[in-house]
Amino acid sequence: MSIAVTAPRYRSLVMPRSAIYGLLLALLALAWLASMTLGYRLYGLDQVWAALFANDGTEAATVIAGLRLPRALIAPLAGAALGVAGAMVQTLSRNRIASPDTLGLNAGASLAVVVATIVFGVQSLVGLSLAAAFGALATAVVVFGVAAGAGGLSPLKIVLVGVTFASLAHAAVEILLTSNEAQLQQLLFWLSGAFVDRPISLFFNGLPVVLVGAAIAFALASSLDAAQADDSTAAGLGVPLAAVRGAAFVSVSLLTGAAVSMAGPVAFVGLVVPHMARRLVGLQHRHQLTAAALTGAIYTTLADVAARFVIYPVEAPVGAITAVVGAIALLVLLRRRLA
Amino acid sequence: MTYMTYRPARAGIGPIGVTALVAAIFVLLFLAGIGFGSTWIPLEHVAHVLFGGGDKTERLVVLQLRLPRVAAAAIAGGAIAFAGYLLQRITRNELASPGVLGVVDGAALGVVLFMAIFSNETNSLIVSVAWQPLAAALGAISAIGLVFLLSGQQASTAIRLLLFGIAVAAVCKALTTIFMLVGPIYQASQAARWLAGAVNTINVTEIQLMLLVLVPTGIVAAIAARHLPPADLDDTSSRSIGLNLPAYRILIFFLAALLTAGAVAFAGGVSFIGLLAPHMARLLVGRARAAGIAVSILLGAIILIGADLLIRVAFAPTEVPAGTVTALIGAPYFLYLLMRKDKNNG
Repeated sequence: MSIAVTAPRYRSLVMPRSAIYGLLLALLALAWLASMTLGYRLYGLDQVWAALFANDGTEAATVIAGLRLPRALIAPLAGAALGVAGAMVQTLSRNRIASPDTLGLNAGASLAVVVATIVFGVQSLVGLSLAAAFGALATAVVVFGVAAGAGGLSPLKIVLVGVTFASLAHAAVEILLTSNEAQLQQLLFWLSGAFVDRPISLFFNGLPVVLVGAAIAFALASSLDAAQADDSTAAGLGVPLAAVRGAAFVSVSLLTGAAVSMAGPVAFVGLVVPHMARRLVGLQHRHQLTAAALTGAIYTTLADVAARFVIYPVEAPVGAITAVVGAIALLVLLRRRLA
Repeated sequence: MTYMTYRPARAGIGPIGVTALVAAIFVLLFLAGIGFGSTWIPLEHVAHVLFGGGDKTERLVVLQLRLPRVAAAAIAGGAIAFAGYLLQRITRNELASPGVLGVVDGAALGVVLFMAIFSNETNSLIVSVAWQPLAAALGAISAIGLVFLLSGQQASTAIRLLLFGIAVAAVCKALTTIFMLVGPIYQASQAARWLAGAVNTINVTEIQLMLLVLVPTGIVAAIAARHLPPADLDDTSSRSIGLNLPAYRILIFFLAALLTAGAVAFAGGVSFIGLLAPHMARLLVGRARAAGIAVSILLGAIILIGADLLIRVAFAPTEVPAGTVTALIGAPYFLYLLMRKDKNNG
């Protein structure tokens, strides 16, 4: 069963796209403020302001600058990266249930980080980010290579291959971790998929990788527009499909790898976000990718805030929350036969 | 009603011979699993102890320390394999298994919820542990029920059904993670190891409970399985010979869920055995039903005992969860099945 590109879902809404972007930016700002102020302790906006611009060393300022700020920076960056990566993967595979998770890229990136740490003794953040990106890329090559080798698989089958590959990677991670207890604590924490207790250096380390990945993505936007039709149409429009696909996968791997190296595997963000983005601004990739970045950032920031309250006073891993939402979304997509 | 015509004429030792051979391998591996440890106990000694002989030390080591672990692996592996056999036959889907249809994760969610609700601050259960299989069964039945309610008409498409199962499994898994944090910390780390499939911490009471649930269920399932349609009939053809009884389907799902729950309740989420064992059984004995069931169960037990033994040999002294080893073998096999050109196109 092949997936034709669905008829453009974009109905010109009441408001023009610029208004939508404005709204999304406003929402992002609100989500960001919520992330700074809400939590186990509530802080006022004045305290946030003081902590950021006139840190006087009070307890509140220390918590805000040291604990709240890193997660309020990492969450939107990881969300934006996963959103853009998800939108590209869905276009490339012409598959509305494809995402870095359902294709196993997150799991591959996690495995690569664990192998790099345990086997090669990599400790630097840059090294781990590169390892994560490499793991995502290698997984993409394997999953799509296997699919191509089998004479082109249906979109549903590719997802099954990806999910199975993910469980394989999880098993390998589990074995590596339990047989190397020294590394267990540090890595287990990271593997839980969360924004809490991350050093802010992770943000500054991930930012350039995300920017490069996003730059490639936006440079490919018009080619991706052509690529979402069938292959011959794209070729007829003069799009070098192989080169576009290759570059797009590099971009997807950088984005996924950066997100995983910052936050660990935060599940199903890349699956859910592109659907929202297309609903809002339509299929054109210039807009789709922008909206995916914004909605992704809002989504993970809000999920991170929700994680603090779901089982209050304990904090839930944000990856578990996005997984519940994402898996339910997958069920809805399957029921609507969007895949 | 007879399916004799579908049974392949086989040369060689035939289904009964194969079953006997697999049973012999199972017995040997079972004894080896008990014999292996910090000190090797020769197989004949192990057998001797199991039949009531042996000196005091050997009796203690074999019966108290080593037997529960191997017995748990055998029971859990066999039960999940049987559940996989039932599911593959009733859905006519060679890729179906308790793991991929969300039954394993549903059962795990049931157990974690049970632990979170019914334990006090000192990590001890405030109700009898005998209720744990019931909690697992409720979770397993809810999960498989949800998969089939949601998939509805689409259930007849093999791949689609699996994706519904995977999504339901993902919901259960994420909820399990969240609820693990609600309970005391100690319990969470225990639960995490149990979830990955560990048979090393099981005690005699738990084994008795497993048997109490699984033996009656297994007998009922074996009787019910007499009406399973031949695997290679499609929906329409089987309907035309009067096999599409919705109630019968529900019964089989229910029994498969119970079998899985009984195993998962104490042995944890051992993945892919429910996929592997029925497949290998079919390769070995073709479509013969009684032999297929027997060989599936025996192979399930063999795989899990073998995985557990491998862990003790290769990773000692760390205890890698047995479920990871079965996943390392099972996942590539699942991929191979997916890749093969077959009728199961999505």
